[in-house]
Amino acid sequence: MNKDNNGTILCAAVGISHEFPKPEGNRLKVLDDINLQIRSGEVVALLGPSGCGKSTILRILAGLIKPAAGEVRTHGEKLAGLNKGAAIVFQGFALYPWMTVSENIEVVLRSTGYPAAEIDARVQETVRMVGLTGFEDAYPRELSGGMKQRVGIARAIAVKPELLFMDEPFSQVDALTAESLRAEVLDIWEMAGANPQSILMVSHDIKEVVYMADRIIVLGAHPGRVRTVVENKMPRPRDYRSAEFQRLMERLHDIISGHEMPDVAVEPAMPPSFIEPLPNCSAGEIVGLMEYLDARGGTADVFQISVDTRSEFGQIITIVKGAEMLDLVDTPKRLVALTPVGRMFIKASPEERKNVWRGQMLQLNLFRTIKDLIDKHPEQAISKELVQEIIVMHMPFENYEPLFDNLIRWGRYGNLFSYDETSETISRPDTPA
Amino acid sequence: MEWMQWGVTGRFRLRPLTAYWPDAVFILCVAGLFYGLAGFEKQITANLRPAFDIDLSPWALPKYALYSLARGLAAYGISLAFTLLYGYWAAKDERAGSVLVPLLDILQSIPVLGFMPGVVLALIALFPRSNVGLELACIIMIFTGQAWNMTFGFYHSLRSLSPEQRDAAAVFRFNWWQKLRWVELPSAATGLVWNSMMSMAGGWFFLMISEAFMLGKKDYRLPGLGSYMSVAVDKGDYAAMTWAVLAMIAIIVALDQLLWRPLTVWVRRYRLEEGGGEPETDSSWFLDWLTSLKLLKAAVSALHQIMLHTPKRPARRAAAPMNGAAGRWLVPGLRGFLFAAVIAVLGYAAVQLAALVGELGMADWKTVWYSAFLTFLRVFAVLLAGTLWTLPAGILIGRSAAALRFLQPVVQIAASFPAPMLFPVMVALFIWLHLSLGWGSILLMLLGSQWYILFNVIGAAAAVPADLKEATVSFRLSGWRQFTALYVPAVFPALVTGWVTAAGGAWNASIVAEKVNYGEQPLATDGIGALISQSAERGDFHTLAASIMVMAAVVVLLNRVVWDRLAGLAQERYSLGK
Repeated sequence: MNKDNNGTILCAAVGISHEFPKPEGNRLKVLDDINLQIRSGEVVALLGPSGCGKSTILRILAGLIKPAAGEVRTHGEKLAGLNKGAAIVFQGFALYPWMTVSENIEVVLRSTGYPAAEIDARVQETVRMVGLTGFEDAYPRELSGGMKQRVGIARAIAVKPELLFMDEPFSQVDALTAESLRAEVLDIWEMAGANPQSILMVSHDIKEVVYMADRIIVLGAHPGRVRTVVENKMPRPRDYRSAEFQRLMERLHDIISGHEMPDVAVEPAMPPSFIEPLPNCSAGEIVGLMEYLDARGGTADVFQISVDTRSEFGQIITIVKGAEMLDLVDTPKRLVALTPVGRMFIKASPEERKNVWRGQMLQLNLFRTIKDLIDKHPEQAISKELVQEIIVMHMPFENYEPLFDNLIRWGRYGNLFSYDETSETISRPDTPA
Repeated sequence: MEWMQWGVTGRFRLRPLTAYWPDAVFILCVAGLFYGLAGFEKQITANLRPAFDIDLSPWALPKYALYSLARGLAAYGISLAFTLLYGYWAAKDERAGSVLVPLLDILQSIPVLGFMPGVVLALIALFPRSNVGLELACIIMIFTGQAWNMTFGFYHSLRSLSPEQRDAAAVFRFNWWQKLRWVELPSAATGLVWNSMMSMAGGWFFLMISEAFMLGKKDYRLPGLGSYMSVAVDKGDYAAMTWAVLAMIAIIVALDQLLWRPLTVWVRRYRLEEGGGEPETDSSWFLDWLTSLKLLKAAVSALHQIMLHTPKRPARRAAAPMNGAAGRWLVPGLRGFLFAAVIAVLGYAAVQLAALVGELGMADWKTVWYSAFLTFLRVFAVLLAGTLWTLPAGILIGRSAAALRFLQPVVQIAASFPAPMLFPVMVALFIWLHLSLGWGSILLMLLGSQWYILFNVIGAAAAVPADLKEATVSFRLSGWRQFTALYVPAVFPALVTGWVTAAGGAWNASIVAEKVNYGEQPLATDGIGALISQSAERGDFHTLAASIMVMAAVVVLLNRVVWDRLAGLAQERYSLGK
């Protein structure tokens, strides 16, 4: 680290909590008591599954969102309004399609009050720093995703911010380009002189944060909270294949999966008549996972699955969780293994698979409750509203709309019930098994 | 600074003079335009003459057509200014927006005759000696046919800016003016141009009424294409009517070629991403010609530079934008004042309306509601008949690339043509066929509003994804099954949009369709439109106010109860963009 690392705290979150209003009036807690600091001369990463509020934390620190409780401090002072020391690189680039590359950079220099006489020179300098020379007069639509994000980076560092915020900066860039951009961002940061002094990045990619960050803040979801902070003292440039790199990656996997995967219990503090929150994955994805495992002798490393299937790690965890709820797989540590039921399922014909699926679903309180309700109802049909009410009553923190959609998908796959979208009723299947 | 290379020095001297003939033509055109406008200025400042004597000779027509064009463009200028101010205010100020947006919905449903008496009487009182008042009244009446959908479109573009773009503008500390110039106006530009095209057509629709109208036994007439047509109709002069129709077509084609087409091509630089929903306009010869002009090129890039590089305010002020006590109360104070003014005007209007309407008896109200019901049935019939022919026709046109290229410009012109100019011919036909106006008016209303349905259906049929088409062909669905299985569901959301617009157009058209001036005696049938135009002519403001209120209420109610829900359903069920 060539950066001046004197440990001054540039920006800090102190006891931040946040809520979003829900359409029906009550509030959804998205962040719970977040405390973190960004010191000068370091790269900090926020790592966590989708829905843990990483991007919300970034926007609160940037002063774009006012937290419901707690405060942001910059250089020890309470932040009111915009954080003028920060610039953001956006996930979706947020470039102006009607401006050329240099105009995109130029306008932010104008708006932030950069000395007018030096603007042209600064534009050229930043264009050179991010390797866009020759593209000054190109429009964003002529550029690939990677090149677009170079413009996004150039625009942010052009104004010489003390803090560079990056919100999943490489998730819309192809994998190879992302790899080179990561290295380049670090080079730029180290060569850039005084500013940007520090980088705060949001990511769900473990490899990315181990490569880039000095400190990794691991977040948990529902509501978002800081689970643990991992220091990463490896010297740069870091080697993806080194033993140290791999060890740290595995450690982070264990932290995330040990907690996210229902190894211990789904939710320990549930009331006795609890109802399981369905993970947001489709029956097709679960069947896909089973096929994958079957083709590899029934066991695989969860990280390997994510790499092989080119899927987001968080989504793989979700699918594994879904399969485990149905008792189709087991998850000893980082491994995912087929259970005897799972083996039976995968060997069965498509029709029999549905039967196994239905049987496993009925082990869950949620589906049993719904089936009982349908059976008891004189018309053998219940309304969408009723089911949503059950969900909201038992799981006030879950977002009931996607959960309901997912419930319908699972139920339809297992031929447990059928759903009429027009009348919004759930009834017995048309062709009962 | 690329544009400097095109400046007067240097390049100009190096080329032979003949290379500049396009510039010369351009300068001549501009000079000619100014000369024409000077004539218009004379007409405006002339002594007030309520009923101008229209010369029906075709040689007088070009001048009249130019006058009408100038009025249409002036009204458009006002509409644009109104759109930017009203749309911006409604989008940025939550409290004001909660009043301004529903108000816009109501304004949109008030037919032009609803604004006429107030506007005309006020402006004539304001300029008792010259034609200024009457001219302004005419321009404002055209404006009321143009402005509302542009304003709605602009408001929606401002509100639908992506959250990341909003955040970026905040993080990089754009002030409101920079944000408007660099982000909001460019992203609204495409919609604004397409809406402007539609608005201009809407403005022509009531040209005949706007230029020649009766108000309480008094006859007002301004020299122009619309009044030429009305006089020709009154006198039964078919040659003059034909000339007027041709002149109108000439105006529409000229505007299309010289203004709208170049604009739609030019505005593509502001599209958000590749493959937007609007139909692609390939090229415009006029734009190509304009861009070949050295003079104009210099002017445009200078303008572009100014847009991008307006001198920055001194840094001290930038550092403390309105930080003083003045800044803290000035902007909210001004907003509050404007808001209070709007509320006061609305309150005053409501009191006046109540007073006007309060004098009506039970029987009068019964007539108004009965008429509204009759017109409601006609509007329904218009939609039914319009759908019956435009749905298959639109799908057939949209499906074939060749038909699309050839017919779409034709449909566009047809849709812009103000249908009331064709009403006399239609009425002659009705008389010959012994068809009563009660039924005939349905056809008249259809003539004006069917295009909205056709337009939308064509657009949606052309946008059906290729893989869906290939699938239908490869599964060998018969022609009929292709229609019912693929095209009808695929165009359904667009069909609903078409219905909403067509229904609005049909309600409006009822004013000129249910009571038609034809020769000596006007024909009329029962309906809210006839009631509105008759009461305006008689100067019976009580009935006028009541029937306009009822019509606006019915239209707004139908929008809320029927159309919004249907559009929601269409979007949810049949939308292809998922």
